[in-house]
Amino acid sequence: MDVFANLLLGLSVAVSPANLAYLFIGVMVGMVVGIIPGFGPAAALAILLPVTFGMNPNGAVIMLAAIYYGAQYGGTITSILLNTPGESSSVASTFDGYPLAQQGRAGPALVMQAVASFVGGTLGVVLITLLAPAFAQVTRSFGPPEFFVLVMMGLSTLIVMVGGNWRYGVISALIGFALGTVGVDLETGQTRFTFRSAELIGGIDFIPIAIGLFGLGELYYAFYTGMHVSGSGGIVQYQKEKRFWPQLRDFAETRFALLRGSLLGFVIGVIPGAGATIASLMSYSLEKSASKTPEKFGKGAMAGLVGPEAANNAASSGAMVPLLTLGIPGSASTAVLLAAFVLWGLTPGPLLMAQKPEFAWGLIASMYLGNVALLALNVFAIPLFVQMIKLPYRILAPAVILVCTIGTYSVSGSIVETWLMFGAGLVGFFMKLYGFSPAALVLALVLGPLAEQSLRQSLTISRGSLMIFVERPMSLWILGITAAVLAAGILMRRAGAQRSS
Amino acid sequence: MRAGFLVAILLVAAGYTWLAFTDLSYLSSAGRLGPGFFPRIIGVCLVALCAHSLYADFRLREALSAHWRTTLVVAAFSAAFVAVLDLLGGLLSMVAFLGAALAYLNRGRPLQNAALAVILPVCVYLLFKVWLNAALPRGILPLPL
Repeated sequence: MDVFANLLLGLSVAVSPANLAYLFIGVMVGMVVGIIPGFGPAAALAILLPVTFGMNPNGAVIMLAAIYYGAQYGGTITSILLNTPGESSSVASTFDGYPLAQQGRAGPALVMQAVASFVGGTLGVVLITLLAPAFAQVTRSFGPPEFFVLVMMGLSTLIVMVGGNWRYGVISALIGFALGTVGVDLETGQTRFTFRSAELIGGIDFIPIAIGLFGLGELYYAFYTGMHVSGSGGIVQYQKEKRFWPQLRDFAETRFALLRGSLLGFVIGVIPGAGATIASLMSYSLEKSASKTPEKFGKGAMAGLVGPEAANNAASSGAMVPLLTLGIPGSASTAVLLAAFVLWGLTPGPLLMAQKPEFAWGLIASMYLGNVALLALNVFAIPLFVQMIKLPYRILAPAVILVCTIGTYSVSGSIVETWLMFGAGLVGFFMKLYGFSPAALVLALVLGPLAEQSLRQSLTISRGSLMIFVERPMSLWILGITAAVLAAGILMRRAGAQRSS
Repeated sequence: MRAGFLVAILLVAAGYTWLAFTDLSYLSSAGRLGPGFFPRIIGVCLVALCAHSLYADFRLREALSAHWRTTLVVAAFSAAFVAVLDLLGGLLSMVAFLGAALAYLNRGRPLQNAALAVILPVCVYLLFKVWLNAALPRGILPLPL
């Protein structure tokens, strides 16, 4: 009963006219961000953070969260019509989405992806509603060893699952940790790596770093790959198709894919570091292996589009569980959301749902409404978003650089931070070019102080013995889950490498 | 280029590690783990991994993209934009940056570029400065708004 009472409390917060307006702005911006290739929700959230300074905390977080999950919806439109994923989590949707569009079924594909995203996202929120309070109850017993192991779990999962060179992934995370040590040591009060600069005493703010890495860095990389000359010439003209709406058999054929994708996506989303991209790729593999006609996959199988779409949206909901109940983000986007929480004096963790129910449940309730709004937008406002896809990148990109720069300056009126953002942009470009992981860097930068503090506290408690991490049952459980996830990730990578060779 | 990037990270990591060992103590005055404990672990791991990656990937060579020059010019425009922010102020810098970037990237459409270079910065200025009351550089010729 508590859950329903809390949900009603959350709904009363979410349906206030101001919060509904913020929610609608958030889902619209999320859709637009999802559509722009090379510009992700992490950068958009970081840029829009200063925009929310004048808002009430509930409205601000409702809007930012809507941008986060709205981007998962928007990214698929370009996957289907242009064969270019707007978001990394929409890569799997190109495999069958674009072939469907080429066969004259772009309309049904667009509607089915919207339905799948809605089912995945909504089922994910239902699971948050039911499981998050229990999760928060369990995590109240967590101490420094568990928090340290959780941080390591998130980072190692991110590095192994995302793929690429693992050494570069670890280097990226170590750079993030190193940047996180700049400033005052909280235990002793001694300054570290500040070079007597007043600007560095408070540490390196991660907002300019996130905007630089995910905004400028991605844009430079898009220029490097020639996005400004390729344009949207190959866009499928879905308006000329005879049938826009899907048929009944499309729903009948994909009903189990919807359910499987949603459940798998949620579970993957809850694991810190795994995220929506992994969830959608795993769902695609699952659907292909479960299908009676696997040969149709890659040639326009509706289940190959629906499963991954449900999975990536459920994963973005699932990622809210560790964020709200532990204060541990699993991706760059949720790291920015964590920073937003902290900016408004909210401390995500085991006590958030008990101490600030109107905030936590207001956010959860708003996600139900947000998914309904996104379903309606995705079905009825497709022409509007298609027009946006047609905007030339050579015009769009300078405008985004302008907003990145002004957005960074406006956070604290610091030109040093603006230069830091530009430097992070250059580093982000080279990281992307050579296969490093900007997401691991940002996550380590955000979680670095927590990792250092919990490691030092753990070793103080155990008088220097590392056995503390395996002697405590919860810590041992987390280590076991981490080992299983990493083993699965390594096996998947090996299987993928064998297939491609 | 990859080797150059790794060398740059290695040099910064070596400097970081050196400072962690020379400037920061391993134990605090109370006998607990001190401010140098974590940075030393991070620094040593970073140097070791960078050195190993440099050794393993030294021979890896990638062909430059045909669009490297455009990327370089866009990055230079971005740097110039940041450099003139304090001098020209928010609005004028935005107009100058967008005008220059569009003139280079969107050639042959001077009217469209001029319109965009004025309208977009004015909208961004009104959003940040007037509506959100956010901090924007005033420049040497501050605007009345």
